Amino acid sequence: MRTMDCDSLDLLVSAYVDDELVGEEREAFEAHLRQCRRCRGAVDEVQALLALMREAGPLHRAPPGLREMAGRVLARPPSPSARRWPLAVAAALLLGVAVSAWRQWPARRPAAGATTESSEFASLGADTHLRHVRGQLPLEVRSERAAEVAGWFAGRVPFNLTLPDYPIGSEERKPYALVGGRLVAFHGDYAAYVVYRMEHRPISLLVASASAVLPRGGSTVTSGALTFHLETLAGLKVISWTHRGLTYALVSDLPEDGARSCLVCHGSDQERRLRPAGPPPPAS
Amino acid sequence: MSLQAGGPKAEAAFREASLACLDGLFGFAMVLAREPAAAEDLVQETYLRALSARHKADLSENLRGWLFTILHNVWRNEVRRPRLERLDEADVSRGPRSVVWLVSPGGPHEELERVRLRETLRQAVDELPSRLREVVILRGFEGFSYQEIASILGCPTGTVMSRLARGRALIRRRLADHPSRASCEAGR
Repeated sequence: MRTMDCDSLDLLVSAYVDDELVGEEREAFEAHLRQCRRCRGAVDEVQALLALMREAGPLHRAPPGLREMAGRVLARPPSPSARRWPLAVAAALLLGVAVSAWRQWPARRPAAGATTESSEFASLGADTHLRHVRGQLPLEVRSERAAEVAGWFAGRVPFNLTLPDYPIGSEERKPYALVGGRLVAFHGDYAAYVVYRMEHRPISLLVASASAVLPRGGSTVTSGALTFHLETLAGLKVISWTHRGLTYALVSDLPEDGARSCLVCHGSDQERRLRPAGPPPPAS
Repeated sequence: MSLQAGGPKAEAAFREASLACLDGLFGFAMVLAREPAAAEDLVQETYLRALSARHKADLSENLRGWLFTILHNVWRNEVRRPRLERLDEADVSRGPRSVVWLVSPGGPHEELERVRLRETLRQAVDELPSRLREVVILRGFEGFSYQEIASILGCPTGTVMSRLARGRALIRRRLADHPSRASCEAGR
């Protein structure tokens, strides 16, 4: 039998204790153990460690909220039917209307005692934004082309996501850049998370099915048939609203009133001239 | 009962068996993501993908391994930050010290020491490089075989063996640095 070198056996000690050594390899190792006190001690130590690990039990247990969520996810039908909404026009329109809401921000803060609870979706938007900024949520698709990013979401979210790509004229500098997007788990399904960048600052747009969540809380601004919910969460400006089966949350840390984040969809010089600071135009 | 996609009973069995893996999946997600919110996202995404892909998989034998594989793939392909942890080979080469005192019997004082040791164990596992931590958790707490771990992580069985040996060596060394070690040794 080949003489075993103790220094080369460290790898085998764990495998032996785990009963993963078989055949001749195991026989050879056991023969070595019978005559080697050092290796017997190593086996004892690994066994002691495993006993301690068994005694210690799992290092983490799933929190109750996760258990509930998992139950909901697994209760879903395997092939959910996808709802299809033309989002491009809706997003552009809605974000445009959102400019009005943003501009009312300072004057429309809820009066003392009138503050309502934060919207779950707004909180998710702020949390997602922060985690992305910290590098904890890498994007799954990266492109400045709206069609490419939107195409990536096709079939991944239960709605048709067509991102606005503001028609900037050839002589006009685009005030923002699309960065990319990723999926964000939400209520047993996915929300679409899209990131833009303006002046080196990220702007997040989170979109989910309105059947999964509706915006609520914060102070509200009504514009036509739409109601915008304005909140400041973790220092971020969050505006959320729902329209035609989809719920949106727009998040940014842009200075001033944050209305510039709406330039994602309304970034032309012409439009900016038409929408000077001040009272918002009547809702269309 | 078969877990293959099919009737209501199979759906219920799949759901029940999948939920039974939740603690383990969350623990593994914590090993990878290291933060509860990200770990929860990882688990939720795992279940979503499992639900949509279950008709493609043969789940009659190893649903648990399949779920862990999905979770690891999600992490590896879409979540993990590009920075790779570097193994500190110098630390490993110093080798483990004696931990025989871990199994020595004793009274209340020793029991208190055990509580402290368990916490030290948690810290020691948590401080391992991620590639070692994965195998230590999958083997030590989830009981997967080397072959199953290799399948989950997408690496050779020999790699599992070597990572496990190195991971355990680092833990033993960390435990040997426990403050009570001197008193335990003095009692021998």
